[in-house]
Amino acid sequence: MGSQTYPVAGGLQTETAPSRHGYLEEIHSWIVTVDHKKLGIMYIVYALLFLVIGGLEAILMRIQLAAPGLHFLEPQTFNRMFTMHGTTMVFLVGMMILFGFGNYLVPLMIGARDMAFPRLNAFSFWMSALAGILLYFSFIGGNGLAGTGTAPDMGWFAYAPLTEKAFSPGHTTDYWTIALLANGIGSIGTSINILATVFCMRTKGMTLMRMPMLPWLYATMSFLTLLAISPLTAAQAMLMIDRYLGGHFFDTQAGGSAILWAHFFWIFGHPEVYVLVLPAFGMASEIIPVFSRKAIFGYPAMVAASVSIGFISLGVWAHHMFTIGLTSYGNAFFTLSTMLVGVPTGIKLFNWLATLWGGKIQYRPPMMFAAAYLIQFLIAGLTGIMLSVSAWDWQLHNSYFVVAHFHYVLVGAIVFMLFSALYYWYPKMTGRMLDEKLAKWHFWLFLIGFHLTFDLMHIPGLLGMPRWIYTYEADRGWGTLNLLISIGGVIQGIAVLIFVYNMVHSYFKGELAGPDPWDAWTLEWATASPPPSYNFATDPVVGSRRPLWDLKHPDDPDSAFE
Amino acid sequence: MSTVTLQHETDTEWRQPAKGTVAMITLIIAESAIFTIFVVAYLYYIGRDVHGPTPKQVLEIPWANSVCLLSSSLFIMLAEHAIAHGKMAAFKLWWAVTFLLGLIFLVGTGVEWKKLIFEDHLTISTNLFGTTYYSLVGLHAFHVIVGLLLMLVVLVLALLGFVEKKHAERVKTLALYWHFVDVVWIVVFTVVYVVGR
Amino acid sequence: MNESVHNVSVEPGAEHAPHAVHLPAPTAWPILLALGLMLVFASLLMNPMLGVLGGVLSLVSAVGWFRDVLPAEKHVDIPTTEEEIAHVPQYDRVAKFAITEEHRALLPQHSFSIASGVLGGIIGGIAMVIPAEIYGVMRYHSIWYVVNLLGGAGIGDWINPTPEQLTHFRLGAFVIANMIQGVTTLLVGVLYGALLPAFPKRPILLGGILAPALWTGLLYSVIGLVNPFLQARIDWLSFAASQVVFGVVAGYVVMKHGQIKELSTMPLAVRMGVEASGLHHHDSDGGNH
Repeated sequence: MGSQTYPVAGGLQTETAPSRHGYLEEIHSWIVTVDHKKLGIMYIVYALLFLVIGGLEAILMRIQLAAPGLHFLEPQTFNRMFTMHGTTMVFLVGMMILFGFGNYLVPLMIGARDMAFPRLNAFSFWMSALAGILLYFSFIGGNGLAGTGTAPDMGWFAYAPLTEKAFSPGHTTDYWTIALLANGIGSIGTSINILATVFCMRTKGMTLMRMPMLPWLYATMSFLTLLAISPLTAAQAMLMIDRYLGGHFFDTQAGGSAILWAHFFWIFGHPEVYVLVLPAFGMASEIIPVFSRKAIFGYPAMVAASVSIGFISLGVWAHHMFTIGLTSYGNAFFTLSTMLVGVPTGIKLFNWLATLWGGKIQYRPPMMFAAAYLIQFLIAGLTGIMLSVSAWDWQLHNSYFVVAHFHYVLVGAIVFMLFSALYYWYPKMTGRMLDEKLAKWHFWLFLIGFHLTFDLMHIPGLLGMPRWIYTYEADRGWGTLNLLISIGGVIQGIAVLIFVYNMVHSYFKGELAGPDPWDAWTLEWATASPPPSYNFATDPVVGSRRPLWDLKHPDDPDSAFE
Repeated sequence: MSTVTLQHETDTEWRQPAKGTVAMITLIIAESAIFTIFVVAYLYYIGRDVHGPTPKQVLEIPWANSVCLLSSSLFIMLAEHAIAHGKMAAFKLWWAVTFLLGLIFLVGTGVEWKKLIFEDHLTISTNLFGTTYYSLVGLHAFHVIVGLLLMLVVLVLALLGFVEKKHAERVKTLALYWHFVDVVWIVVFTVVYVVGR
Repeated sequence: MNESVHNVSVEPGAEHAPHAVHLPAPTAWPILLALGLMLVFASLLMNPMLGVLGGVLSLVSAVGWFRDVLPAEKHVDIPTTEEEIAHVPQYDRVAKFAITEEHRALLPQHSFSIASGVLGGIIGGIAMVIPAEIYGVMRYHSIWYVVNLLGGAGIGDWINPTPEQLTHFRLGAFVIANMIQGVTTLLVGVLYGALLPAFPKRPILLGGILAPALWTGLLYSVIGLVNPFLQARIDWLSFAASQVVFGVVAGYVVMKHGQIKELSTMPLAVRMGVEASGLHHHDSDGGNH
């Protein structure tokens, strides 16, 4: 490992632990920081914290569903659990961790000293982070922890008119609305920041078509965030007008429309899925080439496919609403547009395969997760195509088949890729490698748990098990399957705990990484690990897509072939 | 510390767009999405009320108001032009005119709302028209207020002599926002007073 | 870009690094502003007095932030350390493909112009309307019958129309029929443009008759499953005639504009752009002219 780089003259000496006496100053420096790297790490740690919390909620639900007729949780608590699980995982884990990686990596990869707007960056983080704390304060607000307070309980998409004052008295809905509104302000701020960074802060020589894939995908993702989070913000504002000022937007008794809410929510909700998955594409496009020892195959096609996925995803939202009763034109349009997403996605998959093809593949931990990601993402995409057919969707809408499908995307693709990215960039962030033996335990346990849970989850869906049910009767024949699904969930939980242990353990005891442990090619590996606060003492100048390759192979630089 | 010393094409000039402009454009994109949702809701709910008052009964077309706001776009362009050429006196004048026109628009909206609330008894909770009208026009008015506050800061700084020619770029960025507010008014005007009436 | 390839310099510190770097100074205003706004939000859920506190805090932070960036951005100077990280050239590390017969490193000699395919598709698509219309006019005395049959499938609320209804103009059906016809003929045209020049003999026979016969047969066998109503209404003879007309016309146009003359003497694999090992070494050298 790292045998192909030669750090000279103390490249490792930045590895000095903060002295013990100054830990208050250390904390203070993190709170007032405007450094994109520190903010990125805070995003990631915050998200991992909520990953554990959201996972705990999932496990509570799985215990409740493990056998027919259980009363492990109160029905009301169960509702709060699935609402909070969904909201947490999407907004506090998914968005936060991806913005964290974006914050950390985008400036480093394009050779910038910081984001375009460092203070806005800090503000956005604290806005999103405090919003999450406000959301979780709902557990102890209201009537206290015993009844889990006033935590939201209407499902993460909060269909009207259930959210109207007449049906949801108290502040349960308001916690959800206001927290997401505040969280959205942070997301929009970060998106603007990433876009400005990518377009205005690139180092000399880094044209757009020389940018690594990851900044490209973050730019697309940020653009999509602007167009997705804003409608949600608008819809939340409308809901607040309804609830606080007595408006009638979604008040069906005064002529308001519940379907309009569904439209507004999914205009946000579907692009949101792509907001989450696009950065994962970016990470895959960085990690797969490095561990195949080949340049990415078809870079321009990858860029074009990424951008077109972004555009197409804006026109597919109503495939969440086939059972609401669209016109047959609507059904046909949204079926076709949804299938259309498969085209650029297919291009990406084939390009990753072509990158692997003929490469010298090294199965280090990042690559193991990336390989699993490829296969699982394919399966997730295929069940997505199945569900895009409106007639098929009428049968399976809101069943566990749908739950299995989107968890296949969110866990099988995105979470696997996030683990891959954490293994890959952890050495850059901390200066130490993660333990490889623990990584393998983590990988195999998580893989087995994942497939036990989510492969099997398709079946009760096909058998007719609806989502959001509190419990079910023994004669339905779903018992054994649900028990296995729950066991899989627990195995995943154990795997994540191993990972958390590995992160903490390796932070203190891990092997020193050096600036470039994977012999990679993008600019973040050209500086020390962890990078100094100014990233690069001299602004780098690049002449190709793989500047470090050019450095390491002056006889055969990429720039000769551009 | 690292030194990546690839010396390519060092002679060619390396130009990238100004980050303020990019940020403002992206902010405008996000704001447009928000307005789109409110406009769609307004259009969707036209004529769906179960009881009055209806737009036809109570709304009057605010011609004077609209002329004020739209012409302010013109004056802010003059101001941009002035500061780009370092004519600070002209800049202050045009900037103040823009600010005043915006203020007149805001006061006009206030007068209109006062009439609607106290004479026509239309509030945000009366019916769907009230809900959608006040939220859409109110959202726009909120943007006008933000714009006016920012312009006021610039105006005060300019009168105190802190604004110079080198700030032309920032003034331009702020003007971009004001143009957006004006364009949105054209849409809101069309939807509320032409289509909706 | 290419002329600068050779002066890639790798000596560490070739461009002298500055001794200190300007970075934006750390500041507490962003977190305080976020906290203030969050208190305002929280006041909607809890005590309204929180809002007052939050409002004051937000205002103070906004002013503080403003004074941080204007008139001049606050900076700190971070001294750069003297460490160097060099990436030593690895001349011996790259495995290169030697172009032998076992390695595929050849590019296709010609790529066919898409234009010829597009043109063929358009002209063929127009020509194929003729036999279909002849049938429609003779049998139902209406030029709209065929159009409605093709486009009617895309109109959701038009359920099982009678032949009488099918003879009248309907805008939706007209638009959709044109879209289906346009897109399909264009795509098949492009496919023809890519494939036909690659075949050695009788491209018209293949593209004009064999291929249409194949897909007509395929449609004939599956359309009963997909849309039984459509099967009952289609006259298969005129349908097949239309397809053949399309094939012949599109094929002819493509061949006229394609590059068959230069390529026809080469082996099939070369003409199709297949990169096969060994093949070029022996065959293409001889057959290239």
